[in-house]
Amino acid sequence: MINMSVDIGGINLKNPVLTASGTFGFGREYSGYYDLSKLGGIVVKGLTLEPREGNKPPRIAETPAGILNSVGLQNPGVEYFIKKELPFLREFDTAVIANIAGSTVEEYCIMAEKLGSLVDGIELNISCPNVKEGGAAFGVSAESVYNITRKVKEQCKVPLIVKLTPNVTDIKEIAVAALEGGADALSLINTLLGMAIDINSRKPILANAVGGLSGPAIKPVAVRMVWQVAQAVNIPIIGMGGIACWQDAIEFILAGADAVSVGTANFVNPYAPMEILEGIENYLINNQFGSINEIKGNIRL
Amino acid sequence: MQRMCKIIENRELCRDVYEMRLECPEIVQESKPGQFLHIKINKSADPLLRRPISISRIYRDTGCISIVYQCVGKGTEEMAALKQGEYIDVIGPLGNGFTLFQRKKSAVIGGGIGIAPLLEIVAELTDCDAYLGFRDNTFKLDEFASACKELHIATEDGSLGSRGNVTDIIKDIKKYEIVYACGPKAMLKRIKELCAEKNVKCFISIEERMGCGIGACLVCACKIKEGDAWHYKKVCTDGPVFEASEVDFDD
Ligand SMILES: Cc1cc2nc3c(=O)[nH]c(=O)nc-3n(C[C@H](O)[C@H](O)[C@H](O)COP(=O)(O)OP(=O)(O)OC[C@H]3O[C@@H](n4cnc5c(N)ncnc54)[C@H](O)[C@@H]3O)c2cc1C
Ligand SMILES: Cc1cc2nc3c(=O)[nH]c(=O)nc-3n(C[C@H](O)[C@H](O)[C@H](O)COP(=O)(O)O)c2cc1C
Ligand code: FES
Repeated sequence: MINMSVDIGGINLKNPVLTASGTFGFGREYSGYYDLSKLGGIVVKGLTLEPREGNKPPRIAETPAGILNSVGLQNPGVEYFIKKELPFLREFDTAVIANIAGSTVEEYCIMAEKLGSLVDGIELNISCPNVKEGGAAFGVSAESVYNITRKVKEQCKVPLIVKLTPNVTDIKEIAVAALEGGADALSLINTLLGMAIDINSRKPILANAVGGLSGPAIKPVAVRMVWQVAQAVNIPIIGMGGIACWQDAIEFILAGADAVSVGTANFVNPYAPMEILEGIENYLINNQFGSINEIKGNIRL
Repeated sequence: MQRMCKIIENRELCRDVYEMRLECPEIVQESKPGQFLHIKINKSADPLLRRPISISRIYRDTGCISIVYQCVGKGTEEMAALKQGEYIDVIGPLGNGFTLFQRKKSAVIGGGIGIAPLLEIVAELTDCDAYLGFRDNTFKLDEFASACKELHIATEDGSLGSRGNVTDIIKDIKKYEIVYACGPKAMLKRIKELCAEKNVKCFISIEERMGCGIGACLVCACKIKEGDAWHYKKVCTDGPVFEASEVDFDD
């Protein structure tokens, strides 16, 4: 028997495959494709204290092996989520992690308080490149990462995962700041800030001009960052960024991730998380490993 | 649902416009006019995303769907190169589609490749006129002619029908109870105004760039008025068909 379960800073996942925030809505859309109880966990769309309409369209541009998005945190607000979306997610036997974003530290704290222990974990989104105020601004300096993590952690009744932005000079320094602030786990990476221009109209394709790059194009950057962070901190890591198949997922685990999140790949292949889960299990069996822990960070240098 | 569909035919109708017939009996069973298919053209990561293409005809007897598409970029160009007998990865039917009212006098108004989803409407309705606009090359006119009561054509270069825009050849919009339209934004905006002036109910199919196509990623926003307020709705699941009066084109 293979042990597929992993512990993410106190959140027990039956397997290491999650779905990434913003790419999986609140689960409903994908529930017609497979049983969501088979997932290790679901990280829901980024929530804010008040509902947000998000940015003007176009909000997506395709680039080689990737996409740029500038959704701008469109969401129905944390209270609507608790009343109308969470009961649906709770019908499934899978961990539910709330991704939260705000423009002040207080907003994050209020949200953490409202969520209480209704969810299995909270993912602190201090890395969204698509909103003017707050968002990524909190995620780019070690000092502010430490501060916000510490303050939210005080309000948090469930494990706190801090999601890191790759748009920084030294990811290790940021990871250490989150750890010192009290993070129970880290997830990385969020999208890389990018831009695409229509040469005929001479306008940016995104109405917001810039957006976050995701998909296979960012995978090598994400693997490198997971590897660097895994060496700098000793808390669990959820790795993501361009994971499209089980081989990609294994690469992240070898780099030091405890679990993986599938994002953009859901748009291309709704069954991607299930295929990845099956592939990881087969890899362990075929290579005679008994658990995820045996391959975690197990690269030969 | 996601299916590998067999390509029964993939042929050029006129320069850069193709028709592809797909064998997909399960999709056919659930399809209605105005819905779309989300197509992964090849297995590679480039182009990465699926491409949304409207259902143009539903052949319930043979279990086939036909789509009509224009080559405008990498994805559609690769699609044009696919051969009969090959398989293609399709999710569908997606979107809300048009609701048809058999007993009401109707018109379809289409511009360019926007005429594609109107074909199934005229095939299903018994009392429907068509107004079609093209830049230069025309396509699918025979099918419209045989399924419509009246067929009116405009071309920008004047090579067929009246010279100019399709909105200029609609003489008497108020004789219709319902109008169904699809085409460029400027055309849809004009039709919205025409129908509003004469109090004619009008449904339009909107295009927006998509990610997932099933309502999960929120990239396909369309501004919809609700009373004095507005919201972004999702073209992929709330649409692609909206009532013209609720769509805010001004933004
Ligand atoms: C609901 C819906 C129905 C459609 N029905 C048809 C149809 O029946 N026939 C047809 O020819 N075209 C249709 N389109 C437009 C079609 O999706 C685009 O022409 C196609 O995606 C272009 O892909 P490309 O790789 O050739 O072009 P590229 O410009 O290389 O595409 C780059 C990216 O932009 C997106 N994109 C580009 N143009 C459009 C557009 N107009 N709408 C949405 N996304 C776009 C592509 O999907 C891709 O992600 C429809 C679009 C929508 C939203
Ligand atoms: C359309 C879209 C919306 C996203 N929304 C959020 C969000 O609300 N909160 C967040 O923390 N990350 C968000 N992300 C980032 C993803 O969760 C993920 O970190 C990133 O896309 C990299 O993974 P991928 O390459 O597998 O998509 C979003 C990504 C996409 C593509
Ligand atoms: S394309 Fe993802 S929500 Fe519409």
